Amino acid sequence: MGITYEAVKALSAQLYDWSLRKVPDDTKLGLERALERESQHGAREILKMMLGSARRAEQEERFVCSDAGVPVYHVTIGTAARLDGDIKQAISDGFDELVARINPPLLKHVTNPLTNERGYKGKDMPLVTWDVAGGADWVEILCQPKALGSGRWAALETFSFPTLAQIEEYVMKVVMQAGSQHCPPVIIGVGIGGSFDVAAKIASKATMRPVGSVNSEPVLAAMEERLLRAVNATGFGPMGTGGDTTALAVHVDYASGHGYTPVAVCFNCWINRRTRARLHADGSVERFE
Amino acid sequence: MTTLRRIRLPMTPEEARSLHAGDVVLLDGEIVISAGLPTHQRLLDAAREGRDPPMNITGGALLHLGSYSRDTADGGLEVLYMNPTTSTRFNALMPELIRHYRLTAVGGKGGLDAGCAQAMRDVGCVYFSVLGGGAPLHTAAIRAVKEVACHDLVAHYRLVRLGVEGMGPVTVGIDAHGNSVFASLQDNARASLPGIMEQLAGERAAAPKPGA
Repeated sequence: MGITYEAVKALSAQLYDWSLRKVPDDTKLGLERALERESQHGAREILKMMLGSARRAEQEERFVCSDAGVPVYHVTIGTAARLDGDIKQAISDGFDELVARINPPLLKHVTNPLTNERGYKGKDMPLVTWDVAGGADWVEILCQPKALGSGRWAALETFSFPTLAQIEEYVMKVVMQAGSQHCPPVIIGVGIGGSFDVAAKIASKATMRPVGSVNSEPVLAAMEERLLRAVNATGFGPMGTGGDTTALAVHVDYASGHGYTPVAVCFNCWINRRTRARLHADGSVERFE
Repeated sequence: MTTLRRIRLPMTPEEARSLHAGDVVLLDGEIVISAGLPTHQRLLDAAREGRDPPMNITGGALLHLGSYSRDTADGGLEVLYMNPTTSTRFNALMPELIRHYRLTAVGGKGGLDAGCAQAMRDVGCVYFSVLGGGAPLHTAAIRAVKEVACHDLVAHYRLVRLGVEGMGPVTVGIDAHGNSVFASLQDNARASLPGIMEQLAGERAAAPKPGA
């Protein structure tokens, strides 16, 4: 039995639905740890409210945020997976079906960038990126809906043979530009090198790593730690009204490149919408988050 | 535990002036919400052309909150969920709206710029910073859906007049005396940045080196 159109359609729709009603466990834990450390009274109140909102959304199966964003998927296809049907179309059809049945209904956020008209459908929507996993017989789908807080403040600049100091300076420049705007505390993804599109993809993927996970490369782990301290020293705080917690995590990754080095920085807002599951060859679904 | 101050909306300009940037309060009473730029443009066009706006907001609270509103079977209105949106994208429109409609409260998330803060100071108006990702809590504070206007627009752009009780806590992000939490934090962060970069440089020097 292969991985079918129907299975991909159902799972991609379900992943979107789940992501709207549950703040990932690692992120809730990150908020709790931040609350233990936070020194400012107002910031503590906001962190408590965030945890309360997350809890209530989960218990009552409500949306955490009214802005459900737009559907963004990252699909990894095992090279040994047998595909049965047009799985690209399945993701698109799955979103259409979700729009028709989801309760409460979604607001219209899919925007034509040339007219700013909004609806449920649009060119190239859902936004899907594709990867392959050598030898695997499964298909993994990760859903990360994106809205203003998690999308608007991302930036990329291309440098020529930058030093680590220049790279870190740029990360801080983007953090300063975002300031209070992106529903902090945020998860920050930094992608260094490769090419324009690869750096952006690396940064985006870096935000998908669980909060609290440690980078396996010691150089990057140290960089993540010191950048997190630096970001939190800015004092923007929860919801940007002051405090010690502007970010829950900074995640950095890189690809080798030419020497012209793009540096991409992107954010996910505190609710950190992210769900992920695998479809196996026997038809079973393994849900990770 | 201290009891939070409760603010009844709409406020008078004097009541608005009694609040200070950084205050944390709960909201009761009447708010009008919209997350739509076209909606704000309509309010502004009506002001400029001397027409009645789509909904009377004079002296009231106009917050940047998006909501899913719909008609109910019994002829009423309901709001299924609501949550703030980024206010700064309304920066260009807000000073004139605040002045013309004598708004005593605005709000949303992320704050407004110095031009808006000046208008708020002139009129007697505050900005409430509302938790983003707080839809379950904000929605639970709704007691009545009183009026919906601009039905031709997508749901989150519509003007919706709501009765709320105990909405929040919300933070006074900008007060009616020209103080903005957002502007001060940006100033403070800018002032701290050289020290932060110096700290980063020191930690970088002590850290494992690439390729080592």
